[in-house]
Amino acid sequence: MNLKISGLEYIEEVKNGNISAEDFVSATIDRIKNIDEKLHAFLQVNSKAVEQARDIDKKIKSGKKVGSCFGMPISIKDNICIKHSKTTCASKMLEKFIAPYDATVITKLKEQDAVFVGKANLDEFAMGLTTEFSAYGPSRNPWNTDYVPGGSSGGSAVSVSAFECVASLGSDTGGSVRNPASFCSAVGYKPTYGLISRYGLVSYANSIEQIGPVTRTVKDAAFLLNILSGLDPNDNTTIDGGGQDYLSEIDSGIEGKKIGIIQEMMSEGIDPAVLAATNDAVSKLEGLGAVCENVSIDMVKYSVASYYTITATEAGSNLARYDNLRYGYDFPVEGFEFNSYISKARSKFGPEVIRRMILGGFVPSSGHAGKYFLKSLKVKSKLTNEVNEAFKKYDFLIAPTVPILPFKIGEKIDDPIALFLVDINTVMSNLTGIPSISVPYALSNGLPIGIQLLAKHNHDKSLLKVARALETTVRLPEVPI
Amino acid sequence: MTKIGLEIHCQLTKLESKLFCPCKANYREHEINANVCPICMGLPGTLPRLNQKAIEKATIIAMALNCTTPEKIAFFRKNYFYPDLPKNFQITQLNIYGDTSVGGSGMIMVGDKKIRITRIQLEEDPGRLIYEGSSSKNQITLVDYNRAGTPLVEIVTEPDFETPKQVREFLNILSDLLENLNVSDPSLEGAMRADANVSIEGGNKVEIKNIGSFHDLEKAVHFEITRQNSLHSRDIPIVQETRHWDDKRKITISSRSKEEELDYRYFLEGDIPWIKIGKEVREKLKSEMPESISSKKERYVTKYGIPDQVADVLSSDKFYSDLFDKSQTGNNAKEIANIITTDLMGLVDTREKREESKLQPSHLKDLADEIQSGKLTRSSAKNALYEIVKNGKELSQIVSDLDLGNVSDEDELLKIIKQIISEEPQAVEQAKSNPQTINFLVGKVMQKTKGKADPKLTLDLLKKEIG
Amino acid sequence: MVTEEEIEQVAKLMKIDVHDHKEYVEKVHDMINYFDILDSAGVEDEEFTMKDLPLSSLRKDKHIPFEDKLIEKLNNYKGSYVRAPKMV
Repeated sequence: MNLKISGLEYIEEVKNGNISAEDFVSATIDRIKNIDEKLHAFLQVNSKAVEQARDIDKKIKSGKKVGSCFGMPISIKDNICIKHSKTTCASKMLEKFIAPYDATVITKLKEQDAVFVGKANLDEFAMGLTTEFSAYGPSRNPWNTDYVPGGSSGGSAVSVSAFECVASLGSDTGGSVRNPASFCSAVGYKPTYGLISRYGLVSYANSIEQIGPVTRTVKDAAFLLNILSGLDPNDNTTIDGGGQDYLSEIDSGIEGKKIGIIQEMMSEGIDPAVLAATNDAVSKLEGLGAVCENVSIDMVKYSVASYYTITATEAGSNLARYDNLRYGYDFPVEGFEFNSYISKARSKFGPEVIRRMILGGFVPSSGHAGKYFLKSLKVKSKLTNEVNEAFKKYDFLIAPTVPILPFKIGEKIDDPIALFLVDINTVMSNLTGIPSISVPYALSNGLPIGIQLLAKHNHDKSLLKVARALETTVRLPEVPI
Repeated sequence: MTKIGLEIHCQLTKLESKLFCPCKANYREHEINANVCPICMGLPGTLPRLNQKAIEKATIIAMALNCTTPEKIAFFRKNYFYPDLPKNFQITQLNIYGDTSVGGSGMIMVGDKKIRITRIQLEEDPGRLIYEGSSSKNQITLVDYNRAGTPLVEIVTEPDFETPKQVREFLNILSDLLENLNVSDPSLEGAMRADANVSIEGGNKVEIKNIGSFHDLEKAVHFEITRQNSLHSRDIPIVQETRHWDDKRKITISSRSKEEELDYRYFLEGDIPWIKIGKEVREKLKSEMPESISSKKERYVTKYGIPDQVADVLSSDKFYSDLFDKSQTGNNAKEIANIITTDLMGLVDTREKREESKLQPSHLKDLADEIQSGKLTRSSAKNALYEIVKNGKELSQIVSDLDLGNVSDEDELLKIIKQIISEEPQAVEQAKSNPQTINFLVGKVMQKTKGKADPKLTLDLLKKEIG
Repeated sequence: MVTEEEIEQVAKLMKIDVHDHKEYVEKVHDMINYFDILDSAGVEDEEFTMKDLPLSSLRKDKHIPFEDKLIEKLNNYKGSYVRAPKMV
């Protein structure tokens, strides 16, 4: 069974009767059994996946209406709630938590007859860039298993790029979908803020995060966006995307489009191979009819500080509910006084989460809020204005997704500031709410490099077009696993 | 110079659902932890779903208290840990980026005193705690989340009160106002709670919390003023602090907790965008507001000639004013007002009695008609009213069932009068010499006729008979 | 400059038992120092704008009970109360 096909190809094959959903999903589960011990993309595998695929085959045979996914195997980052399933957020704090409801994105995928093959590994509570902060062990980059797969949606990117599933849902707060997609040579999409409902996504930084698909092709991302986007009464921050079909006219090309090359993301500390790849991508886009120019967005310099201040504040508040009273892990309350119980119970958080929570208690506190938190909100605002200015002149913006190549597991884990700066190219899209995508572009010594494209707020449809155009210029080798 | 300020929390019990989820707003009928959902339990991945009507009702309250209402409102998080707080933060309102709570800068008159309203904000109520276990070793806190997420309106006043009596008056006025607006039923247990702050002679402000009832509030404020005055007279400085009202010992106690200064790290609630309450919406809300109590009173006095004190009682109680307005036809207004404020009051003086009452406005109309046309005495009307409240039957039915019709037939009445005269020779003699005492005999006739005798006719006939 | 006391205070506020102060203090210290870069952003006069929603798009006031007996699925459930440690 050839697992190395895209989602749309899979659907065609099943529709044409060339393959059955059961056979494909069964082969997928076998693949997971064979290689996941090495890669650790999954925290849980769905033991009923094959059975569910079989039911979908029955539906197809009986002529009943079948959802547009036709049993496509999809992995779900373990911070997204699936009813009756463990949802741990890769944390010991939620070791025993079983979600009593489905996230909206899960409901929508279920309606379209997707099959969930398992829950994907992540940095604990989505805080991290390498998946090394998972309380259940890191995931490994399938291109070189000594290297990090990126994060926080590491498991999602690994499972897609290693053919352990066809697509995955991750979450992107500061690059957590695009960064691992880039490191693993997959497509990673972060939609306009509010396009996809966050109901059922365990909150980390709720004012800027979005659920986003990790896929093999740009068209697959568009296909999933069609299913997942839309106003949701369960999430007051969702917006009306205009009911567009994100797949239609995706090949219409970019003739005459103006693309701005973000200078602040091409300078200090950039790996020469990444710089070369980006310049190459720019010339390819020019070859397709686009006009590319340098553009400066000054606030990018302050975006990392602003991002970490804001997210630490929100995380400190969003994670306050984990007091182990209503859900969590086994730790009886008898014999304890309130404050000491809560503090002790919460010591099960990993060190990165604890650092962020301490930061999050500090930066908005009454003595310090003006200097840090409020100033960060102002940087966010000014950055948004600068980006809007840029979009008056340009249709799209371009930059490398990550300024450096994937690095070895353990290499940066003790240096928080170094880790911060891995995010410098991706946080802008979250802070401003604009959509962005990472397209796999090149390899350097076998390590993947992704190129990031950004568009104006709620211009996801055009973004997918330019990403598709860039994708057509690339032919990458297969993952060596 | 005594200065007292209040912070009142009022549940919007007239809403159907909670502030951020569709669980029931009035949690009182539910079994423990049966009025909960993933949102109000603070489960991972849940988001608040703001209740449109809650904002409308809070805005109406702001308008009734003469507040300014902003174009856009916003919500904030107040972060602290407590077992009754499912998310360990409370979603509330603040005014740190301009005026963003539902109302501000209002005022209300308490007699001649103007009380300024600082602000009005919408927020969620936490759950309820009870404590179990006798010894310090086995003590446990038990949490019921049924109340968590119930919509609350917090009303904060400037420290404009000067006496505990003023405070009490204000609370009564506020209760009536909130009930009249149809936003809350203040008589429900726990529906209205208040904290106070007290300072004297321009000194430090002391907050008093944990006050169970309005009655206790008056006591607590009074105690605190006394305590502060006592300290002041001995030149002992008054510490700025929070004190708890101890209901058993009837004193305020310093609550210097181990928490020290809590830093709430207030910031905007990212899951709720700012809400635009445009001019048209506010104008529509204003036009749909129920008539104010003072306006009703004015109308009752000037249009229907209802006496001032009666109009006071009628207008300040929504149950009565609704009944009055639905049953009166102008001509019978005074009579209806009379029936409500004298005969009906005792029959519907509790919330349970009002819920069980079968009285309809049409009953009152019928009663007034019968009284005014002389077919029913006031005494019989009172008996009929009792039956109506109990079983809601038509007046005509009750009159015939209980034979309440007036005895106005002269011959019949004369027969009874003659009977009484023969039974009460002493009273008759007294009445001859002292005409005032004839009322005793009138009373006897009324007794014999079970209140159905026409009093005026009885008096006339008695006088004639006695001579 | 952030002191060890300040970090301890904050950890208490956030209800976290921080044993290895050096591990957390040093790293949090570095992070906060990095944020000093914000001072040169020149954003003092910046106003923040917020997205807004019309009142009419909000949830209508209807009571819809949650379908499951949620309390039975949660931790620390005995009888029908959720049990919490004693308050001092």
